[in-house]
Amino acid sequence: MANSSLTVANIDAGYGAVRVLEDVSLSVGAGETVALLGTNGNGKSTLMKSIMGIVCPSSGSISAVIDGTTHELVGRSTEEIVDLGIAFVPEGRRLFPKQTVIENLLLGAFRPAARSAIRRNLDFCLETFPRLKERSRQVAGSLSGGEQQMLALARALMSAPRILLIDEPSVGLAPLLVSRTIDKIKELKEGFNLTVLMAEQNFTQAIRIADRGYVIVHGRIAFAGESAEALNNNDLIREFYLGA
Amino acid sequence: MDVSLDLLVNAIVSGLLLGGFYAAVSIGVAISFGMLDIVNIAHPAFILLGSYVAYFANSVLGMDPILAAAIALPAFYLLGMAVYQVYYVAFERRNDQSLRSLAFFFGLLFITEVGLVLAFGVDYRLVEARYIGPSLHFGIIDLPLRLLVPFLVAAAMVVGLQVFLSRSFLGRAIQAVAQDQLALRLMAADPIRIKRIAFGLSFATAAVAGAILIIVQPVEPSIGREYIGRVFAICVLGGLGSFTGMAIAAIILGIVESLTSTFFGPSWAPAVAFGVLLVTLAVRPSGLMGR
Ligand SMILES: Nc1ncnc2c1ncn2[C@@H]1O[C@H](COP(=O)(O)OP(=O)(O)OP(=O)(O)O)[C@@H](O)[C@H]1O
Ligand SMILES: [Mg+2]
Repeated sequence: MANSSLTVANIDAGYGAVRVLEDVSLSVGAGETVALLGTNGNGKSTLMKSIMGIVCPSSGSISAVIDGTTHELVGRSTEEIVDLGIAFVPEGRRLFPKQTVIENLLLGAFRPAARSAIRRNLDFCLETFPRLKERSRQVAGSLSGGEQQMLALARALMSAPRILLIDEPSVGLAPLLVSRTIDKIKELKEGFNLTVLMAEQNFTQAIRIADRGYVIVHGRIAFAGESAEALNNNDLIREFYLGA
Repeated sequence: MDVSLDLLVNAIVSGLLLGGFYAAVSIGVAISFGMLDIVNIAHPAFILLGSYVAYFANSVLGMDPILAAAIALPAFYLLGMAVYQVYYVAFERRNDQSLRSLAFFFGLLFITEVGLVLAFGVDYRLVEARYIGPSLHFGIIDLPLRLLVPFLVAAAMVVGLQVFLSRSFLGRAIQAVAQDQLALRLMAADPIRIKRIAFGLSFATAAVAGAILIIVQPVEPSIGREYIGRVFAICVLGGLGSFTGMAIAAIILGIVESLTSTFFGPSWAPAVAFGVLLVTLAVRPSGLMGR
């Protein structure tokens, strides 16, 4: 079963002299889907980059339990963190634009632990996203924005992760596509037995599949909602998202 | 029998064989320049180093030049990894790739050349092997073995590398590494390690290309310079990042050069070859098979 979880404890992080995150703590329990909510520039991506070893926190600790084994993540390289079984769909998707859809997916399975299940995962991804199957020989750079987002998700799953981090899956998608993408994330989460942390600005969509969520404002966790309902009734959310 | 038909057919055949040889010479640059974005203009000098390794093994030990290349291959691979490491620490890590790294590779080119001059002198050197001299004959077609053997070795190397690059995890990572290094990290691959391996492979091809070169023609240390322009032209004509395109471009160039020198004289060959390059690029800016 999904026995993989993530704990961020009191981290400070930023870029050079610019301090972005202050004393941020959060946790994602085994098998949970947790939403990280916040409007532009509040530090969602910085937090995700800190977890992935792209930004190095100046203090605090980040640890992940993968299949029952605990690993400290601070100080590890990005590739080591991914190799542990933590996949990340970054802002801007970061596909290999000159490689085909299939080549991008196969690169997703570079991680040695993912190679044995490559056939099964590939079939699963292409079944979940029939659009990618149709376009399997097309180069990723020529896909539409929605298709690129699907490919970025599918590629992350090809690494057979236990924990999946997704930075704003809805960005740049038409409203109908947003809800479909969010549904897909739920489907994939169940299919792969994942623990999910998802950054989103689209509160209403995120909350449909999230078990709970955090609201981040100016680099601090302003509110931790223990349920979707708690988030719905929170003043901050009302102020930022619902215009109340 | 019509003499000009005879000439034409044989010019095309030897152009095809020459093209295979050009592919072997270009493949290292197709990796370093085409896939890694590293303008290693010193590559032809390392091909010459490969020629002299084959020459040394052949003249001193009586070894077959291609066997000598196979034995030298791991050493060239390691040398390539070492050169990349220096390049990475001195330039790439500091994001200082353009002009100063060009100077670095120019430096390597001259150091290698001077080293070869000091070790072997400036006289032309050649190797001996059973397949240098005889030809096969099929009707009007002459197949000189000194071109056929290099063609077959080159073809095996190009096909082998193509299979490796398209079928293996490492190969696919090599093809992607120049596009987005962070994305590659997110695939659990260390881009620096991937580039080091790829650059090692690029150097390893120079051992083979060098042996082929000295089978095809006698060499002296500065002869590599003649190939710099041609090699980059072939890679650009084929489309950066595509081995198939590179091989087709090499064969086109070989045939064009061979036809030109048969019918108009050898001094026209380079001009016509570069004319073909310019026209192709005007029509297809990304090369024959560029993505
Ligand atoms: N590479 C960087 N160098 C310096 N400052 C940065 C860098 N990246 C982000 N920042 C700053 O850090 C702050 C938080 O940015 P971050 O990208 O984490 O926000 P976000 O919540 O993901 O926003 P968005 O929803 O727009 O993606 C912003 O003020 C931003 O200007
Ligand atoms: Mg962001």
